[in-house]
Amino acid sequence: MRKIILVLSILLSGLTAKPQLTGYTPIADLPKFKEQFAVIAKKTETIKSDFTQEKNLSMLSEKIVSKGKFWFKKDNLLRMEYTKPYQYLMILNKDNMYIKDGQKENKVSTKSNKLFQQINKITIDCVQGTVFSNPDFITKVYENKSTYLVELSPIGKALKEFFKSINVIIDKSDYEVTTIEMNENSGDNTIIRFTNREINTIIPDAIFAIK
Amino acid sequence: MYKNLQPATGDINYIQKFKPNFNNALYKAEIDVVGHHLSGLLLIKTLPDSTVRMVFSNEMGFKFFDFEFKQNGDFNALYVVKQMDKKPVMKTLKKDFELILLLRKDTQTSYLRKDGNSLYYIFPKQKGSFCYITDLGGSEMKTMEISSPHKPIVQAIMKNYTDGIPDTIGITHTNFNFTIGLKKIER
Repeated sequence: MRKIILVLSILLSGLTAKPQLTGYTPIADLPKFKEQFAVIAKKTETIKSDFTQEKNLSMLSEKIVSKGKFWFKKDNLLRMEYTKPYQYLMILNKDNMYIKDGQKENKVSTKSNKLFQQINKITIDCVQGTVFSNPDFITKVYENKSTYLVELSPIGKALKEFFKSINVIIDKSDYEVTTIEMNENSGDNTIIRFTNREINTIIPDAIFAIK
Repeated sequence: MYKNLQPATGDINYIQKFKPNFNNALYKAEIDVVGHHLSGLLLIKTLPDSTVRMVFSNEMGFKFFDFEFKQNGDFNALYVVKQMDKKPVMKTLKKDFELILLLRKDTQTSYLRKDGNSLYYIFPKQKGSFCYITDLGGSEMKTMEISSPHKPIVQAIMKNYTDGIPDTIGITHTNFNFTIGLKKIER
């Protein structure tokens, strides 16, 4: 699903890539990338993975590392279970979000416009890939020897406030998203790396159940 | 509001012994602001020039604020998420953190008071005061307060210090629903 959206956004973006990112050059064969990406995206029903999240505070030379497990299932089912530095569970099930933080449980309709809940939604959109469908992004694609890099630059005022850019790194060998980098204007960033990926293993819907 | 307590003698600077040494500490943070619940990680780091930085982001890395408290008392909000960037919210957060950082220094107006159980280290401000309350022996910080001329409006605790860093910090407002809870995380 996220790949389909990414492909669509690339198709619609009017690609004008310039070399910007260290080690990357504008993609040589964009049609091939789009085609392959669409094929793999169509085939991907589920993703199960571990993840490591790094929050880099550039001016403070600090890195805050979190870890956890990630489950995705078409369409719009997402579970992120943080195990470090503490237990924190987030489930996105269609339009509903569930958060369990220690003993505290919270259910939110993502359709609601409440203050701060939208902030969580943007993060989830990035992880899930639905952020690619946001027309406020300019999308550019680059490549190096082993990966593609899709750079999303916000146009919209609201998103510009949060992100300078979001880079999605895709493995050339299997077209899977390996890394999401959310770059802030301050120079700080958050990098989520996915490891031990299992594609199309059976994930019961109960994993995403919001009780 | 502390005027009716008994006069006490002593060194007002003694209270600085409870000043936390936030060399580098990470807290699980929960902030409730009039109906909005924010949770995440608060990093408190002291820079070589003694400036204290506080960066609060949610579990997914989304930054809410990045504050800077200078030793000379200056405060800078280096980043604040737009939804939080409201004058009353900022003013409240600044004062609350100033309270726990023990940034108020001895001035000609600061004074000591006592009652049967406690010593009061009082630092008047424009309207009201910052007050640190210890036991009579000065071995334990009981509570910290920001008061209006008539009553406490903020009450805070810091406890279970290890190497000068408190394990638990709690800040409560008595006049509206605004609480901050911090629990130290081992990294």
